[in-house]
Amino acid sequence: MATIRCDALTKRYGAVTAVDALDLTIAHGEFMVLLGPSGCGKTTTLNMIAGLEEISDGRLLFDEADVTWQPPHKREVAMVFQSYALYPNKTVFENIAFPLRLRGVPREQIDRAVRQAADQLEIAHLLERRPHQLSGGQRQRVALGRAIVRKPSVFLMDEPLSNLDATLRLSMRSLIKRLHHGLGATFVYVTHDQAEAMTLADRIAVMRGGLIQQLDTPDGIYARPANLFVASFLGSPQINLVEGAVEDGGVFARGAFRLPLPAGLGAPGRQVILGLRPEDVGPPGEGLATLHARVELVSPLGSETHLEVRATGEVPLTLRVPKEWRAREGDLIEVGVAPERLHLFDRASEARIA
Amino acid sequence: MALRSGPPLAPRIGRGLLLALFSALFVLYVAGPVGWLVSSSLQTEAQITAVPPNWLPPDPTFANFEAIFTAADREVTYETRRQGDPATGGFLPSGAANLLPSLWNSLTVGLWVAVLNLLLSLTAAYAIAVIDFRGRRSVLYTVLATRVIPDIALVVPLFLVVRNLGLINSLGALVVTYLAVTVPFTIFILISYFEGIPRDLYRAARIDGCGHWGALRHVYLPLSLPALVASLTFAFLTSWNEFVFALVLTQNVAAQTLPIVISGFIMDFTTSFSFVNAAGVIAIVPPVLMAIVFQRYIVSGLTAGAVKG
Repeated sequence: MATIRCDALTKRYGAVTAVDALDLTIAHGEFMVLLGPSGCGKTTTLNMIAGLEEISDGRLLFDEADVTWQPPHKREVAMVFQSYALYPNKTVFENIAFPLRLRGVPREQIDRAVRQAADQLEIAHLLERRPHQLSGGQRQRVALGRAIVRKPSVFLMDEPLSNLDATLRLSMRSLIKRLHHGLGATFVYVTHDQAEAMTLADRIAVMRGGLIQQLDTPDGIYARPANLFVASFLGSPQINLVEGAVEDGGVFARGAFRLPLPAGLGAPGRQVILGLRPEDVGPPGEGLATLHARVELVSPLGSETHLEVRATGEVPLTLRVPKEWRAREGDLIEVGVAPERLHLFDRASEARIA
Repeated sequence: MALRSGPPLAPRIGRGLLLALFSALFVLYVAGPVGWLVSSSLQTEAQITAVPPNWLPPDPTFANFEAIFTAADREVTYETRRQGDPATGGFLPSGAANLLPSLWNSLTVGLWVAVLNLLLSLTAAYAIAVIDFRGRRSVLYTVLATRVIPDIALVVPLFLVVRNLGLINSLGALVVTYLAVTVPFTIFILISYFEGIPRDLYRAARIDGCGHWGALRHVYLPLSLPALVASLTFAFLTSWNEFVFALVLTQNVAAQTLPIVISGFIMDFTTSFSFVNAAGVIAIVPPVLMAIVFQRYIVSGLTAGAVKG
């Protein structure tokens, strides 16, 4: 049982504020992902929750109990590190058993718990090895084992998959997701990888400059990014952004490039940035605005195709289309865009225009 | 047969020869005096002073060592010391009986210094290297700054302090003084070693349930074994070899250490080099034993596999 509440949590290093009055409540059993580029304060936030980083200001509460000044070993959290951080002088068994040994758990109980965790993580055959004899993926499983063996109510993960290769990362990702379902513990997961964030999270907190930019479900963040930063941080390929203005009659315009906006979006004359997700295009049809474009580059990915095009008015766009579209470089194409799929941001504040 | 790649054969042989030659010269330079010490300790006074010298003992004798171990049973006076012992040439130094007690003094002081030095430095180095507290860099620099002052400049002030404490001619005074010399260096060595241990291991230990003592015991101690052994050896040898402080702070057999007593042999009316050299051989035995026992612990690569890499 653990609800984590950050109450104006602040971390300062001298004159630099790494985390700035962060308010965040993480519900019991929730999988919260802190997402952002490096230096955004996500790891500092995690370390403050862990107790590894002193809190400069604000409060941290676990189940409404103030733990702001509690040392890490009193907080009953488990943590997995990007670097695995296995004890090199201990065997795999002893690495996993270590937190239990420190708590004075009886020998037979430790033995049972370690073997159970090892079975769950499919590392039972490695128990007598030492960390340097393991591959990266195996090491990270051992690190997970060391975390789950304590059955903690809070799991903290600091970019646990960043050092693994792409295939391994996928299987470990689903392993972590299964662990979360099985354990029912509160997870706080730090990453800069949007795919990890989208697939794992119940909610994502997108951070930049020590501040939360947006806090929402993965779908919510993707569908309604709160500002330009969030819009461009999530999504691959990146969202297309076009600077322009709103014209009379609810039309976005940049020279000859014109798209009708949904009713009531943006006052005429307002300087805005239009966002169009690469996949939010389709064949022209009724109720859709039509874009004319010249194909400049075709990148087939097998499952889908990415097109780099120049739309009317020499506006460069990236489009994600089904593999059945047989576009060739130099073709002139027409695509349909649903006005309600467009995102509009204020050019000065970069905030979303609802 | 495939030709080996690399430089042509002749220069390669030439380079090998040159390396061998310089290595041999270096070994001779380092081991020569020790060899002569051991060789002459097995010769009589007459053989040592012979021209040309006997590089190897023509007729090895243990009489010098016998003289050392029986010195306490003999009363050495101006009248008696010319008698007996052909090996020492009959010149048994007047302080000969002090040799074995001083050996024990040296061992006692050395072991206390080695152990206390490690305990003090370990905790200090951990605090400075690991715990993030205000002014930790200043603490480190202050500690190191004390070592910029040459020992000789501290002799008189230290003498006064020790005398006023009533500790003159006590082993405790030597232990405390030597610690002042070894602790700053050891702290410095251990800090750089600790800082090389991945920080994530410390974090993991704290999360797993260790306080600072636990992290020190479970992470830093096992992983810095080579540095600990090096510190232990360094402190022992510093204490074992120290001369100036011991000369000033000790006066007689109750606290005098080996270097003081042995140097005293040379200041007698006549000097028995065979006796001095035999004492010298005894003086190098403990450090050599220590080096043999500890050298296998001084290995690297203990942190392999801790973190990515």
